[in-house]
Order: sequence, then C-alpha cells, then structure tokens
Amino acid sequence: MTLPVRKRSHWLIPCAVAGALLIVLPQRSRGADDPREWLQKMNQALATRNYDGTFFHLSEGRVETMRIVHRVRGGRTTERLQSLDGSGREFVRNNEELTCYLPDQHTVLVEPRPEHGPFLGSLPQFGADVDQFYRIDSLPSTRVLGRPARVIAVNPKDQFRFGYRLWLDEKTAMPLKTQLCDSRGQVIEQIFFARLDMPETIPDSDLAPSVRTEGMRWVRQGPSRDSASPALSAYRASELPPGFHLTVAGAQTIGGATVPASHLVYSDGLATVSVFVEAPRPSAAGADTGPSAESEPPMQGLARVGSGFAFSTIVQGHQVTAVGEVPAQTVEFIAHSVKSSGSAELPRP
Amino acid sequence: MSEQILEQVSAFLDGELPNSETELLLKRLTRGGGLRESFGRYALIGEAIRGASPGLLTKGFADRVNLAIDGEPLAAANVRASLGGAPRWWRPVAGVAVAAGVAAVAVFALQQRAVAPGLRPVLAVTAQTAAVPVPALGAAQPAREAISYTVPAASPAGPSAIPPARLTNYVFAHSRYSSGLDQRGVMADLLIEAEEQQPAASEAAAHVAP
Repeated sequence: MTLPVRKRSHWLIPCAVAGALLIVLPQRSRGADDPREWLQKMNQALATRNYDGTFFHLSEGRVETMRIVHRVRGGRTTERLQSLDGSGREFVRNNEELTCYLPDQHTVLVEPRPEHGPFLGSLPQFGADVDQFYRIDSLPSTRVLGRPARVIAVNPKDQFRFGYRLWLDEKTAMPLKTQLCDSRGQVIEQIFFARLDMPETIPDSDLAPSVRTEGMRWVRQGPSRDSASPALSAYRASELPPGFHLTVAGAQTIGGATVPASHLVYSDGLATVSVFVEAPRPSAAGADTGPSAESEPPMQGLARVGSGFAFSTIVQGHQVTAVGEVPAQTVEFIAHSVKSSGSAELPRP
Repeated sequence: MSEQILEQVSAFLDGELPNSETELLLKRLTRGGGLRESFGRYALIGEAIRGASPGLLTKGFADRVNLAIDGEPLAAANVRASLGGAPRWWRPVAGVAVAAGVAAVAVFALQQRAVAPGLRPVLAVTAQTAAVPVPALGAAQPAREAISYTVPAASPAGPSAIPPARLTNYVFAHSRYSSGLDQRGVMADLLIEAEEQQPAASEAAAHVAP
C-alpha cells in the first residue's frame, strides 16, 4: 500500500532528524565534553602534577580527615598519605616501595614497588573493554571548593562492580570529589577535598613521615623472588563475573607467612580483585614444633574492608581469599570458582 | 557546637567557605570528635536534600523541610539569602529534633538501605516512608546537578570471617594492583582500619632494618 505523500513526509522528517543526530552526536561527544577525555585528563593530572591536599573520607557513617602530598620530580613520584585523626597511620610510597606506618600496631610494613611496576601504569584506561560493563556519562557541571567542576559518572551495568562519580576541576582535571557507588547509584564511600594546592615544588620535609619509629617492628612483605609452590601456582578461577580476566599471576609473601602465596589479579579494566592461594599456616603456638605443628584455624566467610570486601574459603585444603573494591558477591563468586587445574592460564594485560 | 561553626560546615558543604575559614574548620574537625560526627551527619542529610532529583523530592517537600528547620519556606529563605542573611538548609540549632526527623525522611527515601549504627536513631523515625525508588546512577536526571549524597554502606551480618591483622595484610598486598580510581579509597580504608586490630604481621615475619 502506498502512503499518501503528506503522511510519508511525517515519517521522513523524524527519520531525517534522527539520522542527522546520529551523525552529529558521536562527533560532538568526542569533543571537549567527552567524559572519556576528561577521565584521561584526570589520569594525566593525577600522574604528573604536584599536589598537597586535605580531604574527608566518608564511609559507613564515619568521617576521617586525611592529608595527601604527591610530588613528581625528575620522573620520580613520591606520595604521602596521612590520617590526621584517629589511627595516626601514614603511608609513604615512591617508585621503589610502599611503607605503611602503623603506630597503633607498633609496626611498619614495607612492600617493594619496583620502578617499572604498575604504580603509575595502574591508572585505568577507559577503552572499549570498559564500555561493555560501564556507562560513562557527563552530568551537569557544578562547583566544588568554589571552583567550576565537571561531573562524570561511571555507571556499572551490572551488580558485579561499583561505579564512580567524579567532580573534576574544570581547569586542572584534578578530582576534587569522588564517590564510590553501587549498581543502584547509592553512594558507599566519598572522598572530597577541603583544600587542594598544586605547588610548583614540594619540599622533602612534606613527604617525610611524622610517625616516630623507635621501638617499632619493621616487617617486609611483597612479591616473592621465589615462586609459589607448583601446587599453589596451579590454582585459577574457573568462572568469572562478566568482563573480568586474569591480568597478573605471581607469588606474594603475605606478612606473617613463611612461604609465598600464589597471587592472582583479575580485572575488568577498572575494578580489580586479588586472589591469594595459601598453604595452611602453622599456628603461632606450634610454629617451632616442625611439620607436625598444628595449623591456624581455616578462615571461611565474608569480611568487610572499607567499601570493599574479602571472602575466604578452603579449596582442596588450601586457603583461598579474594579481596577487592567490589561488591561482596563478586569476591564470593570468584573465590568459590577457584580450582586447581593442570594447565595454568597465563595472564593478559 | 556553636551556630557559627555550623554555618561554616554548611558553607563548606556548599563550596562557599573562604579558604582561610576552611583551614580553621579543618583544625576544629581534626580536634573534636563531636564536631566530626555532626559534620558527617550534616553532609549526609544536606547532600540528600540538595541533591535529590525532582522525581524524588518535590519543591513542596523541600519547603516543608525548610519550614521545619527554620520556620520559613524555601522561597522566603532564598530572598533572605540574597540579602545576605544566608539561611542554610539545616539551621539546626532551634529545631534540631524536628529538622533531623524531616530531613531523615529524605535520606531514607533516597537510600532504602541499612545505615550505620550512629544514624539509626534518626533514620528509624522514617521507617514507614521507604517507598521511593532510587534511580540508576546518572540516569534520567539530565537537567539537574548530579545526585550527591552519602550512604553508609551496610555491613555484612555477623563477625568478620578474617582476622583484622590478616585482612590488613591482604589489602596492603592488593593495593598494589588496584586501579587509580580505587587505590586512594583502598589506601584510605587501610588508614582507618585501625580499631581493634592486632599486630599486622606475626613475629614469624622477617624483620628488616629501617
């Protein structure tokens, strides 16, 4: 049947408009307003700028005040994160190592972070992979700290990952405020700056820990030069939430352990989950009594850490623990799927 | 807490506090536990009210909240603000109980989820009003400022299955691989995970010289 000309024009006009929009909108979205461009600018700013700021960390109804000092000088990055109230803990990291001062535990933890490691490389890339599992939107601009701020939402498309809202300084792309959100958009953690300076230079004294370390125990943990035992290295997650894949497989000495654990890292491009596979540990009481010593009681179940979760279970006699800034069901899903397999899958970037 | 400090907190949350006063507020916050708790609560309530989308909180609702807080509707309050009186959304001193109750309706309606123990007495008032759906992040709010409110996360039921010291060690090891977006949060979590913790590593670990 042939439509009358008048009716046909009714069809044609919206089609023409829609077609024009389809052509114009993608080009526009790649312009100055493209949220991905802003996220890349943020990455660049975080990696290359000097900054010294005080921020509030709101989580689980608690507010903590913290100071961060970040310096990039001659290709070398040094960062100090300090709790201004509460625990008095401090972290100082540079291209070689991360040092965690825990005065409340009279302990200093040191973990080597090699220069060519993922310290700066770990900044997320918002490529096509990420698009499959997150929707990235620009929201109306607003003001934070009295400065115009660009608001970007990174929305998870399912319940296996968290999302983010970022308030980026219009001038520098520094994140003035960030929120971690669940898949329903509810905020579970918030960081916002009360003060943020970006000085040309930062003196060494601002990066030195204020914690007095006399009498504290120094404990080193980190990637092990020794491989994990073949039995531990054979473990992999047999099933993963959509989008997650193995990115790192190595050995890691966890503080308190005498043999390295297998450390697997799974990522969807933004969120990461670490899986530790360990042999049963001898209990502290039986540590000196040889191989027949009693083992520490196995861990089984969920634990909360800040806005993330850890889930531990026993698989074929080994302790398997998944940890990440992801919903509880994600760490649980991954930990439950870990199995020993004859052929170990190799990580991909 | 004096009204002046509350004004400062509110101005800070609005992004309007001058730098010199922000420094002063920070000093006060790091000194006083009570102020910090109040600050967290005001941040929660204030952002819920200011950030709610039209579909969730009507103008009438905002007026009612404002009326409950300081006895005048939003429109009148805006006029006074423009004249320099600067009434803020909380004005909590005079009618704090009413204000907290009404504001908590907004919070509860937006959140519909478990809350931290410290906020339960306030939010319990509103248990019968939890019927408003929460929109997906950033969806269907094109003409407004981003929704901005803080929700205390629900904790899993029961005690932690992993001893705190061991958990710290796992998170410390994991932080190396967490993405740039997560990393600051992970590290901040480690900084505050100090309560009721045992030593982070046993004596069996290797000791190194500082």
